[in-house]
Amino acid sequence: MKALCLSLILFSLLLAGCGGGGDETSKQPDTGKTNEYGLTDFEMTYGIGPVKKRLFLGQINKALAKKGENIFATKCAPCHKLDERYIGPAQRYATERRPPEYLMNMMLNPDEMVKRHPEGKKLLAEYLSPMTYQNITEEDARNVIEYLRLTAQEGHENNIPEVPLYKNQIQKP
Amino acid sequence: MSGINNRKLVIAVIGLIILMLTLIGCPAQQSMVGTDDAAQKVYVAPGTYDEFYAFMSGGFSGQVTVHGLPSGRLIKTIPVFSVFPENGYGFSEETKPMLNTSFGFVPWDDAHHPELSQTSGTPDGRWLFINANNTTRVARINLASFETDEIIEIPNAAGNHASPFVTMNTEYVVASTRFSVPIPQKDVPISTYKENFDGTITFIRVDPESGRMTIAFQIIVPGFNYDLAHAGKGPSHGWAFFTSYNTEQANTLLEVNASQNDKDFVAAVNWKLAEQYLAEGKAKDMSASYVNNHMNGSSRIVETEKHTSVKVLSPKDCPGLIYYLPTPKSPHGVDVDPSGEYIVAGGKLAAVIPVHSFSKMQKAIEDKLFEGDVDGIPVLKYESVVAGEVQNPGLGPLHTEFDGKGYAYTSAFISSEIVKWKLGTWEVVDRIPTYYSIGHLMIPGGDSQKPWGKYVVALNKITKDRYLPTGPELAHAAQLIDISGEKMKLLLDFPTMGEPHYAQGIAAELLMKNQTKMFPIEGNTHPQATKSEAESRVERKGNEVHVYMTTIRTHFSPDNIEGIKLGDKVFFHVTNLEQDWDVPHGFAVQGALNAELLIMPGETRTLVWEPARVGVFPFYCTDFCSALHQEMQGYVRVSPGNSSVAITYGTGK
Amino acid sequence: MRKIAKRLFAGAALLLIITYFVPLWSISLEAPQYPEGIGLYIWVNKITGKNPHDLKNINGLNHYIGMKEIHPESIPELRVMPWILGFFVVSGLVGSIAFPQRFLSFWLALLILISVIGLVDFYVWEYDYGHDLNPKAAIKVPGMSYQPPLIGSKQLLNMRTSSWPHIGGWAILISISLAGFALFYDKKEITA
Repeated sequence: MKALCLSLILFSLLLAGCGGGGDETSKQPDTGKTNEYGLTDFEMTYGIGPVKKRLFLGQINKALAKKGENIFATKCAPCHKLDERYIGPAQRYATERRPPEYLMNMMLNPDEMVKRHPEGKKLLAEYLSPMTYQNITEEDARNVIEYLRLTAQEGHENNIPEVPLYKNQIQKP
Repeated sequence: MSGINNRKLVIAVIGLIILMLTLIGCPAQQSMVGTDDAAQKVYVAPGTYDEFYAFMSGGFSGQVTVHGLPSGRLIKTIPVFSVFPENGYGFSEETKPMLNTSFGFVPWDDAHHPELSQTSGTPDGRWLFINANNTTRVARINLASFETDEIIEIPNAAGNHASPFVTMNTEYVVASTRFSVPIPQKDVPISTYKENFDGTITFIRVDPESGRMTIAFQIIVPGFNYDLAHAGKGPSHGWAFFTSYNTEQANTLLEVNASQNDKDFVAAVNWKLAEQYLAEGKAKDMSASYVNNHMNGSSRIVETEKHTSVKVLSPKDCPGLIYYLPTPKSPHGVDVDPSGEYIVAGGKLAAVIPVHSFSKMQKAIEDKLFEGDVDGIPVLKYESVVAGEVQNPGLGPLHTEFDGKGYAYTSAFISSEIVKWKLGTWEVVDRIPTYYSIGHLMIPGGDSQKPWGKYVVALNKITKDRYLPTGPELAHAAQLIDISGEKMKLLLDFPTMGEPHYAQGIAAELLMKNQTKMFPIEGNTHPQATKSEAESRVERKGNEVHVYMTTIRTHFSPDNIEGIKLGDKVFFHVTNLEQDWDVPHGFAVQGALNAELLIMPGETRTLVWEPARVGVFPFYCTDFCSALHQEMQGYVRVSPGNSSVAITYGTGK
Repeated sequence: MRKIAKRLFAGAALLLIITYFVPLWSISLEAPQYPEGIGLYIWVNKITGKNPHDLKNINGLNHYIGMKEIHPESIPELRVMPWILGFFVVSGLVGSIAFPQRFLSFWLALLILISVIGLVDFYVWEYDYGHDLNPKAAIKVPGMSYQPPLIGSKQLLNMRTSSWPHIGGWAILISISLAGFALFYDKKEITA
């Protein structure tokens, strides 16, 4: 009898130890709170990539804009035009559509943006060609921003209409 | 009574039949290798990497194949001596010159022995050298880009077989003649072999920075067949050893006539002394025509340099330069153990493995223990140089590699096995069969000072039933054998391409971190490079039309070209503007009589097209590059020879 | 002769007919390079390989060590054996019907004698084949000879050579046994 009781107690202890399921390991890393896309709030607005802090943009620097224009001509022109939908979206008013940090992350980290960011994914679905990695430096990307700020300004001065991102107008970003 | 006898009779007869059946049908059972254990050891899980790169020669394919060990998977074929239409090697204007020789453009050769560059006697992962047997050459492969960067032709040579073995710090790469010929070539009867035919041993200097090869000097040697070589290490650094057979100097039916002498020779060459003689001006300048082709690093165009003379040393003028060590019998491989003291020769028709001692050789030279000479080259006494003989080494011992733990592994062709024996005691400690008829064997680093003694790969000549049969021609078989323990264990059997005569292995981490992933477009100095789409254009120069084309996912620029006429020679200079890893683009045009182009990110490659018909012809990208790869195409309009259609071009207009 | 003895005698004679249809002897060679096996069959009137080109391949392999080539056309025994066996078949059948016991003894003794002579002759041929080597052979292992075994298995260099009677050979043995039993029963009956 004693033996039976003892073994029953031991058995139930064993069950208690094993039966209760272990904690579910959290699916998201703990660094910054993330939403259902797995992105932090910063990343949602400003893109996934090496630019992780807000940038301060002062007056448009014409010299840097010129540098940016050269980079645009060699690296971006194969797929982007200013006033035409080409392989990718028209870029004249890009700096008004998106924050500069977002644009820079798009230029420096296109693979991940197109795979994980909801905006990037929408664009991929619209344009079908993913944006390719260009192997440019952060400085180059910053100069392109400067150039695009200039093109936006010139666009307004000359009443150049904007070419929308999406064919279907309802899907405005 | 007859009933009982009948029964006995019947029993007796049945017994006899049973006896007959059991005796006739009694196959020997082969013991099965524990398969679970082996499977674990060779499984490389998806997403993880092999431990070693194994570079196998392609033999009659002329290429080098790269396998991973322990999985045995084929990872790449590197084109070296044979044209490779798959990526345009030997067909694009930039790479065609790599296969130039003094005989002309040679589209194929027979590549035998790969050899890794070494620093301080260990493989350093910079280059892989390999020899061409037919049109005598040595190639250097860049192990950051896995491409053939340079090929140098060897003059005064035929059958470059004992090649391209390196010295401890890759000061030199050696080359040597399997076939003796008149040097220089002249019109003589073949039966005058003994009077007129000689061999050469060549030392190619390798520039330590650029890897550029130059022929430092050649030594004219008696007309034997020089078979294999290895350089000395440690105490024997400064010497190189070459096996020779056909000391009978036969020129016909060598199968019988070159197998008569009881002993042939290992030639020991003191190259440090040769350098001295060279400096003293003892070398003669012999006129000889040969070429050196190398790829320019920034334009990635192969340039051909022509040479007209070579420095030649004669043993008669250079005492102490070369000695002959008698070696039974028609020796094939010569291998130097990691300590540099023992020189193992595989006498392929001998019943023992002779091992020479470097220190004894030094002493014999000092004490002048010679048993004669050949053309003035002293022949040392066998007993004075031999350290020991391995008895019972299997039949037809060929090549030996070392595990760095005091053991040597020799391949035996006729008995189809690998024999493991102990250095110093010369006793055989283990044997393992190979399937079938093993030639070379390879331990990663096994011919260096610090072998990675974990695996040996058996490279076999006969395949028969090892894999699914594929008609009369079968891939050669290789086995991966575990040598980490006392007894050898067969782990894996895998097929190889061409005929791997030899192989080299190196720990993966030594190469992985140095891999070239793309060519930065800013560094491209190709004169016909087009660095942005804006610069893409088509220009006519008389009968030549030059198309400066760019590729990026997922279009060509220009992709519509008009104004080409019959009789034009069209040059498509295609620059791949991508700057990411693993995004090549291909280019092929209908009616081209060459091949396609595969253009890596940032490089420029040129294909020549001579349209033979009037009409509109498509071109397209051949290497899958994006979801819209099928849309990556273009058209070329070819008008009659006298038409006045102007050159126009563009994309998207 | 008693009936049973006659039947056994006839059976022994008839059994010999098999030798015209199946090989007498089999020589197999096992080597690592020949996983499928390679070998020879000696028939009453010819020598063939076990697989279509085996004889040619064996000749090719053996020339490295200086062995002579096997040319069945030049082996006289192969021409004579069919006649000898034929004699035994016919005489045995006739004898089982018409002749007395003494003939059976004579027939049996002769058969045993011929078999023994055959084996001895085979041994002598094997000896010559394995010892009379071409001095210019490529591979010479000092002191080595390559005489295949008469019956049984022997390792020669890298080959395991096995020599055994095949169906025809066993048939002759059984035939001898049957004739022996026939004689035994017949004698027993008479002396009973």
